Amino acid sequence: MTKENTSKGDIQISKQAIATIAFQAVQRSYGVVGLASKNIADELAHALVKDPTHGIDVDYKNQEINIDIYIIIEYGTRIKSVAASVANTVRYQVESSLGLPVNEINIHVQGLRISNGE
Amino acid sequence: MSEEQSVTNNRPIDGVQYKELMNAGLTWLRTNQESVNALNVFPVPDGDTGTNMVLTLQAAYNEISNSSGESVGELAEKLAHGALMGARGNSGVILSQIWRGFSKGLEECETINGKCLVEGLKQARDTAYKGVVRPVEGTILTVCKDMAIAAEKSLKDTEDPYQILRIVTDAAQVSVEHTPELLDVLKEAGVVDAGGKGLMHIFEGMVRFIDGEPLDIEPVHVQPLSVIGQQEALNNAEPGQDYEVIVDFQPDQPLVLENYYEDLEKIGTSIQVGEGDGIYRMHIHVATEKRYEPIDYTMTLGTITKVHIENLMIQVDSPAGAQREEPLKLAKVGPDDLGVITISPGSGFSRIFASLGAAAIVEGGQTMNPSTQEILAAFEDLPTDKIIILPNNKNIMMAATSAAEVSVKQVEVIPSVTVPQGLAAMLRLIPGQELADVAKDMNSAVNDIESGEITTAVRDVEIDGIEVKEGEIISLHNGKLVGSNKSLKDGCLIFLETAKAEDLELITMFHGENISTEDAEKMAEFIQEKYPDQEVELQYGGQPHYQFIFSIE
Repeated sequence: MTKENTSKGDIQISKQAIATIAFQAVQRSYGVVGLASKNIADELAHALVKDPTHGIDVDYKNQEINIDIYIIIEYGTRIKSVAASVANTVRYQVESSLGLPVNEINIHVQGLRISNGE
Repeated sequence: MSEEQSVTNNRPIDGVQYKELMNAGLTWLRTNQESVNALNVFPVPDGDTGTNMVLTLQAAYNEISNSSGESVGELAEKLAHGALMGARGNSGVILSQIWRGFSKGLEECETINGKCLVEGLKQARDTAYKGVVRPVEGTILTVCKDMAIAAEKSLKDTEDPYQILRIVTDAAQVSVEHTPELLDVLKEAGVVDAGGKGLMHIFEGMVRFIDGEPLDIEPVHVQPLSVIGQQEALNNAEPGQDYEVIVDFQPDQPLVLENYYEDLEKIGTSIQVGEGDGIYRMHIHVATEKRYEPIDYTMTLGTITKVHIENLMIQVDSPAGAQREEPLKLAKVGPDDLGVITISPGSGFSRIFASLGAAAIVEGGQTMNPSTQEILAAFEDLPTDKIIILPNNKNIMMAATSAAEVSVKQVEVIPSVTVPQGLAAMLRLIPGQELADVAKDMNSAVNDIESGEITTAVRDVEIDGIEVKEGEIISLHNGKLVGSNKSLKDGCLIFLETAKAEDLELITMFHGENISTEDAEKMAEFIQEKYPDQEVELQYGGQPHYQFIFSIE
């Protein structure tokens, strides 16, 4: 839970909320064709419950927000450029929505999707 | 579309022509690179769309520029491969997908006829849309889609590929203009989509090439009002053009820019026209006897709201103008060169860095730290993506490092925390070499130099066991406080002792703006007497606050 003190009380933002913002940003990022599970346990959990932030991990420690994103990229795009764009877009969207700085964004390319004909 | 325009009846596009067309698209995109960059609003931190697209298309074109005797299908595949390998930024990735789709459509084609071209454009659209889960409309994707739709429709009327190129280019123009209707961020910023515009320019370049129109001259265009400032005027005052005239006016009828420019060119030089909210601002330099002509002429076109006339020669002759020096000559870098960005605390240092081959200089130092954005802006526009940053101050390291992280370019930040370290690193620059090698050389150069800074303390303080009184001269050796003294002489000497100058060869002193050349020369002579075995050099650094910056090697 991210906490910010204002003169009239506290604002609390859940990790889930941050993850949702990131999730939406990732879906609109060019080159990303899907989000992926971090590991098998996560995969199983996802099979049982559809969660709106699948493939996004938000960590909040010592006043720092770190986000891990697990993605699948379209085969035939420059992975480095796509990953850099995703990190930029997510950072921008999260920071501008929350008004809080994001410390680290780690992009994990879990796989490539090959579209028809290749 | 008139009859005369369709001179090329149904001739297919062969490999040679395909290359020429692609080159034309690239050239025209490069010509318009800055205007595309200026449109950047979405998604904000992604750097410069125009530059990214030029670099991507350049990499693509490089793959086919030297090949010969191949089918268009083979060339298109090579081009797509080049685009993939060279894709920069979001818009570059999408552009590379477009060419990949295009090449799929042309796979079997020896030459491009109308049907092939349409198939290529359709595949381009399909492939481009496959690359994203939720496509955002009002972007380059939409423009690509509208082009494909127009291409399909056109087949009913013509099978001439050249004619189809014209039709899709027109469709692209309409589509680009429509992007703000689809995407609110664009509407709010009052711009069209940068990526879409870039794509349109590529095809527009091809059409211009077919028509024999020039590709390297930017057409006259209206700039935002804010661009036309008055402060730049002095830098480009030409002999004989003594007056600067700025006229704000509201035209009675829609202004035909080409004609307006043409008429103004007969009167003077340095013409710029800007527009905002229906008000136009015209800027021109004219000879003394013609100083009222631009006003009289503009008056015939509409209502003048404001006039500003300034005698540039008087400014140049005035004491302030007399000190004005030649503009900095920065190194011009090409796509494969290394571009070095240095942070400089003073005009003298800027000059030295420029003479050593710096491609961009950001002003800043101890009391004025440039932001990440300023550093980023300095190198994002350079045509190369191999960048070295010399921060030259430990307070600027952070900003330089984050600029490197945000950028899509390959960036090396050299840990130079003093200006002499930056200079030492700069001397290791070999423009043609690999980025990693040069960076390694520079890193080691930074440690080979002794840096000293001599300044006046602004308050009482005790650091590292040294007591400092306000107004005393303090000496820093490699950023560490080594002494506080009453006199400047002692301040310099204590630093030289700590740095073991007697074992080294060359002592270079850079004097700041707060000490006169005469006093600085006296100090240099004094130091030369104390250190007869070393060579002492004095240069103007122009830094604020610091009387001297030393470099010993």
